[in-house]
Amino acid sequence: MGHEEPGNESWDMRAGQLKVLLVEDNAASRDMLSRRLRRAGYEVCTAADGAQALRQARALRPGIVLMDMSLPIKDGWTACRELRQAPDTAEARIIALTAHAMAEDLARAMAAGCDDYATKPVDFPELLRKIEHWAGAARQAPAREGAQ
Amino acid sequence: MPIDDAALPPWSEPVFRAVAEVRRQARPGASRPSSPSSRGGAGLDAARRGDLARLDAAGAALKAALARQDADGAEWRHDARNALGALQGYAEMLLEEPGGLRGAMRAGLEGLVAAVSEAANAAAGPANPLRSPAALASGASPAEPPPPHRVPPGNILAVDDNPDNRELLGRQLAKEGHTALLAGSGAKALAALESSAVDLVLLDLLMPGMNGSAVLRRIKANEAWRAIPVIMISGQRDMDGIIACIEAGADDYLLKPFNPVLLQARIKAGLERKRWHDREAEYRAQLEQREQFIRAAFGRYVSDAVVNEVLERPEGLKLGGDLREVTILMSDIREFSGLCAQLPPEEVVRMLNAYLGAMTDIIMRHQGTIDEFIGDAILAIFGAPVSRADDALRAARCALDMQAAMRGINLANQRAGLPAIRMGIGINTGAVIAGNIGSERRSKYGVVGHQVNLTARIVEQAAGGEILASASTMARLRALSPAGALSRRRRTARVKGIDQPVILHPLQRRSPKRATTARQKTATATRRTRTARAARAAGGGP
Repeated sequence: MGHEEPGNESWDMRAGQLKVLLVEDNAASRDMLSRRLRRAGYEVCTAADGAQALRQARALRPGIVLMDMSLPIKDGWTACRELRQAPDTAEARIIALTAHAMAEDLARAMAAGCDDYATKPVDFPELLRKIEHWAGAARQAPAREGAQ
Repeated sequence: MPIDDAALPPWSEPVFRAVAEVRRQARPGASRPSSPSSRGGAGLDAARRGDLARLDAAGAALKAALARQDADGAEWRHDARNALGALQGYAEMLLEEPGGLRGAMRAGLEGLVAAVSEAANAAAGPANPLRSPAALASGASPAEPPPPHRVPPGNILAVDDNPDNRELLGRQLAKEGHTALLAGSGAKALAALESSAVDLVLLDLLMPGMNGSAVLRRIKANEAWRAIPVIMISGQRDMDGIIACIEAGADDYLLKPFNPVLLQARIKAGLERKRWHDREAEYRAQLEQREQFIRAAFGRYVSDAVVNEVLERPEGLKLGGDLREVTILMSDIREFSGLCAQLPPEEVVRMLNAYLGAMTDIIMRHQGTIDEFIGDAILAIFGAPVSRADDALRAARCALDMQAAMRGINLANQRAGLPAIRMGIGINTGAVIAGNIGSERRSKYGVVGHQVNLTARIVEQAAGGEILASASTMARLRALSPAGALSRRRRTARVKGIDQPVILHPLQRRSPKRATTARQKTATATRRTRTARAARAAGGGP
């Protein structure tokens, strides 16, 4: 994972090393966001449903997961909980992408194990700031010492 | 898809209008024929034409979703938000692409981005808290000014032995934009404080090993950490423990399970306190800097005592003065005018500066105030602006040290090929007027009065290497150092301007033997220090 690389202080190195898994069933959103994230310098992989997301996460170990919550086959909340429970993927930082802006929906996403959330339509610069924030937080070992 | 446009919500109308405008600009006919960069379509490359097509499709998807808004519960909203996101995203991508877009196309895309932002807020409706959680999570965004009185996020150390609680705290802190440092034990908390700048500590009271109150005590005992606000977290049953912690310096407390809003409010209050404290410390540092400047600017001419008085009392700079008893010390170099005639002027200045520099150090060490240099002569005061019980004794010891230092000065002169110099000192005690004397433009702290003139007469009587004290000074010295009469001799002299003969006491070190011993050590580098120490020891007591 990106955050395990030593000496990755500069933006360029971080951006180059950080893997982002984008889980999004809406094709237009998936296309648009994945391309914009690649332009921003991240390594991006995509999944269109919750089950695919879990397979991708186990195989690719992304540092950041951007997770739409209303997903087919396995919804985002279930996928989040499963990511958190599996030791391989528990360390990933999950940012919920949600069209549900109601407070209880956000609370539900946080309760499922998301670290943060972004509501659609996504404010892209804001999303990049959140990704960077959590990528930075993931590098701080003390912050995660109790997670295992 | 047959859609009744009249059924679309009013907020969507500007979005569709903006999409139509972008589509119109993208048509081949919209390109100006004269434009040299025109190539196919509206002068757009294949990649851009692809994104324009996707943008168009997102517009259609939005319309389709809105058409379903009465039919299916929440699904249409999800689709509409995805479509709005795609519209905005593609428009921004087209704008970001390097290489010029035609002005009209650029304006069309910018209009679309603005329309989507408007629509996203309007679609949320007034009762929908879309804006507030988003603002909570993301802080300031260009479309949304930050709420008033928002405290900037800080570095917050959360200490809890329970990993679930820790994770929850971490997430809640991140939600507010704080940087969370999580520690699972008291020892780890102290290590985190060592290694990072922490603005606030959330501290669990009950922990195995070092418990919360022990950590709190360590924080409050550390000078560098004392100002960091600490919020104790505990179960209801530990109320006594909480009270003890607040008494020990904790700022606040929260009982588990705590309300996240309450947590944020307490954190905000704590951070605000910390920032006030930091600002105050900064202000103090600025004042100190200013004070240092004043010291540097005036310290060359007056002693620290005068600077302190100027700094501490706003009226310290007022002109005028008060009548007070001081001991006045005057010194001058014997036959100095003769020396001046023999030496080149620059040599005279060099020699004088070395001499006055050494004497200044000695006088300041004895807490004297240098009032003036008059050529080679020095006028120093003991007892103004700050009066001390041992003023006369310090003046006498200062004089002894000054004479002792002459050996070193003359050795240096000898090495530099300069002649040896000899100095006489007169000391007198009496009432003078001390204060800022002069005009508004130029004033200096100083003393005036008959006793100052008398001291000048006394120093005229002193031979090279001699210290003469007046009877009044001698009386103070006897009172201060009963067995230590520094002089067993006396002589009378007639001085100008005074009718009665004046009684003068030559001062010497009490033990000539010890003084001699000290003198033998003059070759070493520590010579002057030792001489001074010996002089103090000799003059100090029985």
